Amino acid sequence: MTMENTSQARFRLPFWRRLMDWAPTGTGIIFGYSVLFILYFPIVMLMLLSFSGDPLTGIPGDWTITWYEDVIFADIAQRDGEAYGSNFRVGDPLLLSIMLACITAVACVIAVLIVGPILPRIKWRGPFLVGFLMPLMIPGIIGGVGLFMWYRLVIDVKMGIWSLVLAHFVWAFPFALLAMLVVASRFDIRLMEAAKDLGAKPWQRFWQIEMPLLKPGIYAAGFFGFLLSFNELPFSIFMRAGQDTLPLYLWIQSGAHNTTVPLIYAMSTIITVGSIGLTFLAIKLAFGGGQKNDVRQ
Amino acid sequence: MTLDSNTAPSTDHSEVLSIQHATHQFGSLVAVDDVSITARRGEFLTLLGESGSGKTTLLRLIAGLERPTRIGGISIEGRDVTLVPASRRNCTTVFQHYALFPHMSVGQNIEYGLRVRGVSISERRERAMEALNLVRLPDKYDRRVHQLSGGERQRISLARALVTRPAILLLDEPLGALDEKLRVEMQVELLDLHQKLGITFIYVTHSQEEALTMSDRIILMRRGKIVQEGPPTDLFDRPGNRFVADFMGVENLLAGTLEAVTGERASVRVGDYRMSGIWSGGEAPAAGTQVCLAVRAERVRLGKAGGGGPEDGVNRLPCKSGITIYKGKYIDRTLDTDVGPLTARIWDRDADLAEFASVWWRADDCAVTRMAGEGG
Repeated sequence: MTMENTSQARFRLPFWRRLMDWAPTGTGIIFGYSVLFILYFPIVMLMLLSFSGDPLTGIPGDWTITWYEDVIFADIAQRDGEAYGSNFRVGDPLLLSIMLACITAVACVIAVLIVGPILPRIKWRGPFLVGFLMPLMIPGIIGGVGLFMWYRLVIDVKMGIWSLVLAHFVWAFPFALLAMLVVASRFDIRLMEAAKDLGAKPWQRFWQIEMPLLKPGIYAAGFFGFLLSFNELPFSIFMRAGQDTLPLYLWIQSGAHNTTVPLIYAMSTIITVGSIGLTFLAIKLAFGGGQKNDVRQ
Repeated sequence: MTLDSNTAPSTDHSEVLSIQHATHQFGSLVAVDDVSITARRGEFLTLLGESGSGKTTLLRLIAGLERPTRIGGISIEGRDVTLVPASRRNCTTVFQHYALFPHMSVGQNIEYGLRVRGVSISERRERAMEALNLVRLPDKYDRRVHQLSGGERQRISLARALVTRPAILLLDEPLGALDEKLRVEMQVELLDLHQKLGITFIYVTHSQEEALTMSDRIILMRRGKIVQEGPPTDLFDRPGNRFVADFMGVENLLAGTLEAVTGERASVRVGDYRMSGIWSGGEAPAAGTQVCLAVRAERVRLGKAGGGGPEDGVNRLPCKSGITIYKGKYIDRTLDTDVGPLTARIWDRDADLAEFASVWWRADDCAVTRMAGEGG
């Protein structure tokens, strides 16, 4: 038997040899698809159930959009003081969450613009970086309790919208910073020197050179700020003080009334689709036409 | 008014740049050590030196990209710019790494210096086209930077620096990243531009060959200090000390003891031999000082056996043949002598290399110079 194994070999390898060659790749493929299945099956099921007549059975079918109507009209009806079949009211939490997410996104962009471009250039960046990114490793619940104690007992911040904003910022900032650092660490500081040499004043250098080149990082930071705030639950539990964010509201509703569960399915589907849409938009804004920026000189 | 309105040769040889006692430190490292230089209008001045000699730092001090630790003063076109930021100095830099803005087109890159000065769009475009013509890339206005080759990028960078009509153009090893053939082409083009525009060029390089080809005047630097300055022929033929000779590519450097300096001529004892050459070390030191005899390989010739006694104006050494190195255009032959190995450059390929027993060179073809520079 020949050991020849090149493409020009006339002989087909015996079956067991081909199996052995293929085994690592095959295992990887099977494992990969399993993970994808475990990840996406519940989400797909949830979407299907949100269009199903009797979602609580767990079997999709009997297609309807009645739950979506309920999500919208239950709130509108109750707002007008009318009685409705369900007391599910998603309007206020949704507005609150969108507002929080927007404020967090803006705060992240500003903070990251201040810190991001400087951090890769300073001498002791290691400790700073660890310090900034530490919150990533602290579980949300512990962070929430900590912030709660800090705000309530030490600096006496009134719990409410602003405590939520602060908490969401603390939570989202490290991610936003990471996104910015990916871009900022590749930013060639010598371009700023060249601009200065050509006569650009500091604000011209910032707007005409630094900002356009850091644009992907800015978009990414805003996007992370928005999405992480919008989906945040553990910190919100401690910081809410009467304010229900959307995830918080859904969480409470899912534990409380069986009748609202189908509405949660519908709402979750809307949020998922919205998030995916936003993600694509952000990627397009950040990297669409970004090909012109990845010049290696 | 066009870019090359002040067509050379300019009769105005006034001082366009003057730096007095500039010192620059990075932490404890002294990059530029109490250096003073001047440049005339329209001069091609080269700052030559190995890496770490402080030449680039000096250039950045002129540009204003580096703030000197201590300085007596710096003026451009007679105006004191010691405290003026880089953005308001009438000089621009061509960087070795091009530093083109990747998010702008070629045209936008070139126009940038005009844009920040508030020049109108139509005039910007006109002057950018003019600059593009100057660097012979007239049809690249709308290109993206990443579509250009290295040589084209360097030309765009040159056009970008020239478009604002600076009094001084600073070039920081602009050809360092280009391949050999392109480098030679660009040398010619730079010289051409220099002649056409009459702008003062201050050119930083580590290549003595580049410096010799292009400069009106060379300033050779080492460890933050000026070792020697003068026209290329001075540095090439009259090195002020052993370091200069070595840096300028003199292959044969012999250590000896100075016997006497009479007029131009110095006589030196090298081993058991008495030799003579042109004294190049400035003010002559006392007899008995250790000096260096420098002779280029192309000046060393091979003699037939015997050789005879010392003739007037000729230095002669008996030798044995060493290895031969083929260099294409010529052959470098290493020769073992009593005072160490010497290299002779042989251009004639048909020369009979077997029949020799001595080497010789004319005293006028070799320099006698100091072992070390003052303080160095």
